[in-house]
Amino acid sequence: MRLSWLFGSSMEAHHLLAAYVAVWLIQGGYAGWIAWQWMRAGKELQPNLSLNTEADEDM
Amino acid sequence: MRHTRIYRTVGLVWFLLTVAAIVYATRLALVVAPTEATMGNVQRIFYYHVPTSMLSLLFPYVNFVASLFYLGWRRRNPMRALTADAVAIASAEVTVVYSSICLLTGMLWGRAVWGIWWTWDARLTSMLLLWLLYVSYLMLRKLSATGQTQTLAAVLSVFAAIDVPIVYMSIQWWRTQHPAPVFGGGPDSGIDPSMMPAFGWNVLGWAMWGVFLLVFRYSLERRRQETEQEAARKSIEGSMEIAQ
Repeated sequence: MRLSWLFGSSMEAHHLLAAYVAVWLIQGGYAGWIAWQWMRAGKELQPNLSLNTEADEDM
Repeated sequence: MRHTRIYRTVGLVWFLLTVAAIVYATRLALVVAPTEATMGNVQRIFYYHVPTSMLSLLFPYVNFVASLFYLGWRRRNPMRALTADAVAIASAEVTVVYSSICLLTGMLWGRAVWGIWWTWDARLTSMLLLWLLYVSYLMLRKLSATGQTQTLAAVLSVFAAIDVPIVYMSIQWWRTQHPAPVFGGGPDSGIDPSMMPAFGWNVLGWAMWGVFLLVFRYSLERRRQETEQEAARKSIEGSMEIAQ
């Protein structure tokens, strides 16, 4: 396994793994939060589809 | 409706391409790129730290330009001003995400290489200040109850943007613990050519991801604005019916 060093017990390995995992968690968490809010906002908007015809066409 | 479908398809294709680019870039960074002679494997944090740091200094300018447009349009063309405001809040959030990653990965790298988590040198302090400015921008938008929140936030954004060139130039203006610029920092700067593919693909992947987040968050804000407009319209209609 070429990546086995990544899961070693040294501080360098721990910090490298932590950095990569943290980046994915932060970015994925933020994208997930937007997706969740997007679905919530969609539910609120659904009964009012006739709102702004110009904006609807733009969308 | 046809436009909506096209935008969603483009968004999905962009998302898939972005994830593919990031996965490939991560593989290059962890498997293909050579191990650095002095620092060893922990130097591979560089491939995430530097691209996200570069991007955390670019998104504040999107916020700055959008805020200027908001200030210019808010009286003459309020509908367009709302569009600029949606771009402003989206770019401020993406700035906080990228600068948080910059600070976090920098601390993890610094502890392993320097033996310390943090030092109050000019680069680290000015970057922390940038993060605090954009967090305060978002808190202002979230907590302020006045009708002038968007205008106040836009003014704050103009001042916050001043910190960006200070962060960038800090390692040239002052002697810092943080290393000199990797690129354009003199005759000894630069990285080994064998490290360039991993670096370049990470810049591309995380830039594409940043654009994806920006557009997705902008679309969400526009949705919210439409919901608020609809609620306001219904409220006005309701009060007019009561008056009759």
